[in-house]
Amino acid sequence: MSVIEVKNLSKTFKSKVKGKGLKGSIKSIFKPKYKTIKAVNKVSFNVEKGEMVAFIGPNGAGKSTTIKMLTGILYPDNGDIKILGLDPRKNRKKLAYEIGTVFGQKEQLWTHLTPYDNFKFFGAIYDMKDYEIEKKIEELKALFELDEFINTPVKSLSLGQRIRCEIACSLINDPKILFLDEPTIGLDPVVKENIRSFIKRMNKECHTTVFLTSHDVGDIEKLCKRVIIINNGTVVLDDTMENLKYHYLNKKIIDAKMKEKINLDDEKGIKILKDKGYNLKIEVDLKEKNISDAIKLLDPDKIIDINISNTPLEEIISDIYKKDK
Amino acid sequence: MKKYLFIFKTEFINSLQYVKSFIVGSLSLILIIYIYLNLWNFLYSDPESLINGYSYTQMIWYILFTETLWSCIKGRKIVRDISTDVKNGNIAYQMNKPYNYINYILSKTFADFTFKLLILLPAAIVLGHILIGNIPNFNLLGCLLAIITGILGTMVNVLICISIGLLSFFMEDAAPIYWIYSKVILVIGTLFPIEFMPEIIQPVLKYSPIFAMNYGPAKLFVDFNYDFLIKVLISQVIYLIVFYIITNLVYKKGVKNINVNGG
Repeated sequence: MSVIEVKNLSKTFKSKVKGKGLKGSIKSIFKPKYKTIKAVNKVSFNVEKGEMVAFIGPNGAGKSTTIKMLTGILYPDNGDIKILGLDPRKNRKKLAYEIGTVFGQKEQLWTHLTPYDNFKFFGAIYDMKDYEIEKKIEELKALFELDEFINTPVKSLSLGQRIRCEIACSLINDPKILFLDEPTIGLDPVVKENIRSFIKRMNKECHTTVFLTSHDVGDIEKLCKRVIIINNGTVVLDDTMENLKYHYLNKKIIDAKMKEKINLDDEKGIKILKDKGYNLKIEVDLKEKNISDAIKLLDPDKIIDINISNTPLEEIISDIYKKDK
Repeated sequence: MKKYLFIFKTEFINSLQYVKSFIVGSLSLILIIYIYLNLWNFLYSDPESLINGYSYTQMIWYILFTETLWSCIKGRKIVRDISTDVKNGNIAYQMNKPYNYINYILSKTFADFTFKLLILLPAAIVLGHILIGNIPNFNLLGCLLAIITGILGTMVNVLICISIGLLSFFMEDAAPIYWIYSKVILVIGTLFPIEFMPEIIQPVLKYSPIFAMNYGPAKLFVDFNYDFLIKVLISQVIYLIVFYIITNLVYKKGVKNINVNGG
């Protein structure tokens, strides 16, 4: 069952164009000029119940605009959106009871209050009864391990603890879909890992559908089974993570430490990425050359140490972005 | 309604954190009243005389009442906060919560107002007694009813401030509009009752929001009568409805134009 249905979604923004210098500024007062920016252009996709989908793209690709339209914050120019069967344009308030949102760069918690008081506050906002709020707080406390700081004012919490509380708070109303916009932004690797495990656990235990935007490949790789890539306002890839890796991981990186210098140039299937005499880094295109032939080129007798790895997912995604340009 | 009471309660708890700094900041009220006390003392060469129907004691209590209400509500902050919310897109993040933004701001503002009024009003009454003696023709019920109209009048003021703040959806800076508005309110109705204005504009002013906001409640405080109370209450109900509708319309129109990209 699709919980998010998006069809031909489009949104344009009008932005003022100002001429150079004083003359341009004065002219723009009397004769303002505008340019139209197509932020989202005929985007279509469906998300099934319980899925964890990564919605990614470079800066300015249109992902935040899309997420804002899905949550009823922005009005689309064209296209249809159905979130749990509701149109966010017409049923924003009704929809608000059914979804949760976390915008990593925006705080929703009241910082002078404790997480407990915040949960009580948001529970009341969602018209929950006192006993329901208390029950939910107990669940969230266990799920996100909040026991230690649930009665500490939010302003005294670390960033990682605060994000944990932000996510927990967005679950107070038992949302069927959770929209996470850069939830791990600004966090250190350990805390990121921690947050990811909480999101994973939440998805497993509560069956909440997660729609995630992030620039962090770790978030995408570790959380999502499906990835939608958007660039210049259009969807350029919508596939499972497995397929993405299978189709795009046809390159291997060989890092080799040599006994003596060898002369190697770019050739079909081989690209020299780094050549520092005794240290070599080459990229092998497996469609053109198999890995054993590539190793033979290095002369195995002269190798002291070797490491063969896949192309990092970050580079794959970056390649997809570039290809689309 | 329950959720707005909860917002009120939460903001009230928040305000309690700043009780000390508010008390220190409010000491300026003493200075302001002292200045007006001396100014009016000079104008009333004979303390028993009446100027435009107000005795010296009534005049000082009038200013004490309006200045107290004025000090309890920070219109500039309301306008600035809403403008900032609109400009940096924060308002968008409030939209996907199941509450009405206008009611949310009203609840928050009134929690802060209540907290300040609970401190300032008793302090102002004590100050008034020390400086000029009893409230003229003191009547406890009349005083309480005047305070209630003062609260309703402040609600009208807050709704106007919210509307001005929401103009940021359509213009670069709403602050100059608030500046003009605040100066008009300060001079007409807060520092000077309507009777001190030129006769030609007095009938207009008596039908304006100023009547509902500050003049009406303050006049009731110093010269209570039930006929006037009814007039004040009627004008307050009308202006509350009118400005509530206007504020919601401005908001609805504004959010359709909202332009939050990036992130």
